[in-house]
Amino acid sequence: MTFTKSVTCYDFYDRAQTGEKCSQDDWDLMTIPMKAMELKQKYNLDFGKEFIPTDKDQMERLFKAGFEMLLECGVWCTDTHRIVKYTEDEIWDAINNPHKEFQLGTGRDAVYCRKRSVGDKAKPIVQGGPTGSPISEDVFVPVHMSYALEKEVDTIVNGVMTSVRGKPPIPGSPYEVLAAKTETRLIKDACSMAGRPGMGV
Amino acid sequence: MGCNDSHEVSQLNELKIDLDAIAVIAHYKSNSDIIMDEQMPIFGGYAGGVEETTIVDVATHINSMVMSSASWHLDGPVHIRWGSTNTRETLMIAGWTCATISEFTDLLSGNQYYPCAGPCTEMCLLEAAAQSITDTASGREILSGVASAKGVITDKTTGMEARMMGEAARATAGVEIETVNEILDKLVASYENNYANAPAGKTFQECYDVATVTPTDEYVKVYDGAKKKLEDLGLSF
Repeated sequence: MTFTKSVTCYDFYDRAQTGEKCSQDDWDLMTIPMKAMELKQKYNLDFGKEFIPTDKDQMERLFKAGFEMLLECGVWCTDTHRIVKYTEDEIWDAINNPHKEFQLGTGRDAVYCRKRSVGDKAKPIVQGGPTGSPISEDVFVPVHMSYALEKEVDTIVNGVMTSVRGKPPIPGSPYEVLAAKTETRLIKDACSMAGRPGMGV
Repeated sequence: MGCNDSHEVSQLNELKIDLDAIAVIAHYKSNSDIIMDEQMPIFGGYAGGVEETTIVDVATHINSMVMSSASWHLDGPVHIRWGSTNTRETLMIAGWTCATISEFTDLLSGNQYYPCAGPCTEMCLLEAAAQSITDTASGREILSGVASAKGVITDKTTGMEARMMGEAARATAGVEIETVNEILDKLVASYENNYANAPAGKTFQECYDVATVTPTDEYVKVYDGAKKKLEDLGLSF
């Protein structure tokens, strides 16, 4: 039976209120490991020593296994302890309608993210930055400038300030909000000082 | 941040989510923001071994499209013992997952970098190169890093590691997959016995002239040494 409409975050929220109940231990220690092991055997998956696959038949079996993992298990909600499930058609609807390309950044510093394939001759986008690593407040700008000054780098991924106005950004406190806002502003400043004010973050 | 910046929402390990994240997705969608759905599957964690974790990783990629309406999914298979994305097992999980997602969907994806070693060390640069080679050859659209020293030590990341990520990607693009697998096998073997005693490296302040944001001569020499090693393994810059 065809689906009524595409799944949205609102549908997800509603299903998280009514889905099947499951404890966290049952999910983590039974559902996930048992289903993953079952699908490995069902689809006869053995990667050998290859980092990048050359066996297209096995790649197709892996895709079916991953699809089946999501279809049969669903997603567990940590707040309601319920399982959100999708129908097969709903999953295909999402796969068939992706965000196919997009722009990161603006002006002459913008880059365009487009699909690559295995063995593609085009270089991927390089998003340079501390990737969530802790960075001292006093060197936050020069650390991010060190990435923006690299021509190999196309966009910036941020570090995390260890303090803001000398105070730790404790989660749930106003300092956390101040740190998050300040990080973004300082990174934009760092990009501007490197001569690339339109770099995406 | 503007609409053309990536707005992050994170799934939880494995195939889990909290309702705050769902509310955040509603906010991003109402602003027409680029949505980056992030998750780092754990090798040796709930899913188990290489193949099992890869199955979960494929499911997680697909879920980013269904649940989060993601513009792109940021992957990052991580080793439960070493806390690194650059081990043999985690590179295999990333490589197989990305190649499969690239082959059978149009989802755009990235991968994030957490080497064991710190900046200004050859091991750190070789770890970053190994993942860049894996990601580039398997069809990733975005490489995101590098969180050197596992991303947990204050001020231990610099632009030089990202330069290696970019240069290794440029050198790998278009290389035959069989050749890539041979290079990776030798490259990972060159550092995989050193995780327990990985060199700590230096801080940004020790690696750069902070006033001019210029890497030190010492780091440039280390970088050249790592590039030479990669050339000896078969990579052409």
